[in-house]
Amino acid sequence: MANQLLEVTDLSAAYGDVRALSGTSLSVEAGAIVALVGANGAGKSTLLRAISGQLTRTSGSITFAGIEIKKHTMKQRVELGIVQVPEGRRLFPDLTIYENLRLGATLREPRSHMRESLERVYGLFPVLRDRQNGKAGLLSGGEQQMLAIGRALMAQPRLVMIDEASLGLSPKLTRQIFELIGVLNEQGTTVLLVEQNIHMALKLCSKAYVIQNGRVIMSGSGEDLLADADVCKAYLGQRGSRIA
Amino acid sequence: MNIFLQVVINGILFGTMYGVAAIGLSVIFGTMRIIFLAQGTMIVLFAYLVYWLWRLVGLDPYLSALIVVPISFAVGIGLFYLLFKKASALEDRNVSLLLAVGLMYMVDNLLLKAFSANPRYVKTDYGSLTFHLGGINISFVRLMALVIALIAAAAVYWFLKRTLLGTSVRAASVDMEATRLLGINSYWVAAVSFAIGIALAGTAGVVMASVYSFDPNYGFTFAIKALIVLALGGIGNVWGALTAGLLLGVIESLATYYVGAGWSDAISYAVFIMVLIFLPQGLFGARTVIKKV
Repeated sequence: MANQLLEVTDLSAAYGDVRALSGTSLSVEAGAIVALVGANGAGKSTLLRAISGQLTRTSGSITFAGIEIKKHTMKQRVELGIVQVPEGRRLFPDLTIYENLRLGATLREPRSHMRESLERVYGLFPVLRDRQNGKAGLLSGGEQQMLAIGRALMAQPRLVMIDEASLGLSPKLTRQIFELIGVLNEQGTTVLLVEQNIHMALKLCSKAYVIQNGRVIMSGSGEDLLADADVCKAYLGQRGSRIA
Repeated sequence: MNIFLQVVINGILFGTMYGVAAIGLSVIFGTMRIIFLAQGTMIVLFAYLVYWLWRLVGLDPYLSALIVVPISFAVGIGLFYLLFKKASALEDRNVSLLLAVGLMYMVDNLLLKAFSANPRYVKTDYGSLTFHLGGINISFVRLMALVIALIAAAAVYWFLKRTLLGTSVRAASVDMEATRLLGINSYWVAAVSFAIGIALAGTAGVVMASVYSFDPNYGFTFAIKALIVLALGGIGNVWGALTAGLLLGVIESLATYYVGAGWSDAISYAVFIMVLIFLPQGLFGARTVIKKV
């Protein structure tokens, strides 16, 4: 297939004796928004951790822009343009918003484009500009998510992987965050989303993979999956329990 | 009144070294999550370097700071990659802690073997120079110790607050994994913060050699005193550590003068225990272990 930015082939991983991924394959086309959906513990986050390099004991192959990256360090992967927005945001609460953003651009290339990246992030999330000298820990949940995404964008990623952007946010805020993810995608950043808010994720993405017990059990366009009765029954019916 | 003031000022000037040592412990704790017990030994090691530079080539102790501080920084980087890099990646912090204890005893004994237990001191023309201000005597070298401590604290504060690498150190002190996700080389960040701690030991070594007579046994005592100061000042707070150092100096000075020379250590350990029981966050109320810088 042409123009695949990320290609994961037959990836397996385990935490101790617990198998978290068994032979997962997926591909992300350059410029797309791809969603990984599935129940808690299905292996979605494990997949992101394997791609970002947090998890290294894996078998199978991960290529990014045609380069096999499985032996790459986390830093090298960020240099190639893979940046993860971790679950729970993992901001530095006592650092200012500006300092948090600045830490996204420590590598040589992003550092030389600090100003432009900062303008881009402030353009997407104006609230961050207004409060740039305030502590990150004082932001609301939605603003913290914006900062986490903005910090990742400072690294000038080609692929940004967002783990549970909607976690702990109201439906209204979630919708706002998802709209902004759509905008940053239109600006040219490829997005890989992990979401438990399946309805919104499927509406936003161009392609989605349903993951269960560490395997891809279904894939297709977001619309097709939304229309699919099985997906609706298996997951959308549980929407109310996703917070629990 | 004059005597009281004199005793307090002596204490402040004596406490500067505690403060510098404690800032070092605090910065190292941030990224390595251990109390670096070999800090006092490092101070003595660098005091010997100052001493021998003076003895062999006649280098003035304050001038030798320009050599000793960079050397101690380089020693810190080397020690980190040689000893602590692997251990720093382990979940279990005890490995790093035991490495520090091993390093402390090894260097202590090497110093004893190489330089004997005889006290050494650097004799300078200005060593006994004293200013008289309204009935108070202030020794020149001790005043210089305070000046050096203030410069060192300001430099560390500036580094942590104003540089990108310093911001990375503060971030890694809170969440190292999150800094890795941003492509930051966390080993380098940990190495630099460790080296800053050792450079502060080098700074304290300059002070020790220029003001006091010292021997290898000072190392452990100083590490423990720095630990008391760290508990008083709260971990992760540069000015808190320095202020707490001066405060411990004052406490010891008052105890020595008004209670008796043998009492000062017992009283400072009692203060240590009281602080841990009643003010576990330190005097300046840092909210959690590493919060403030």
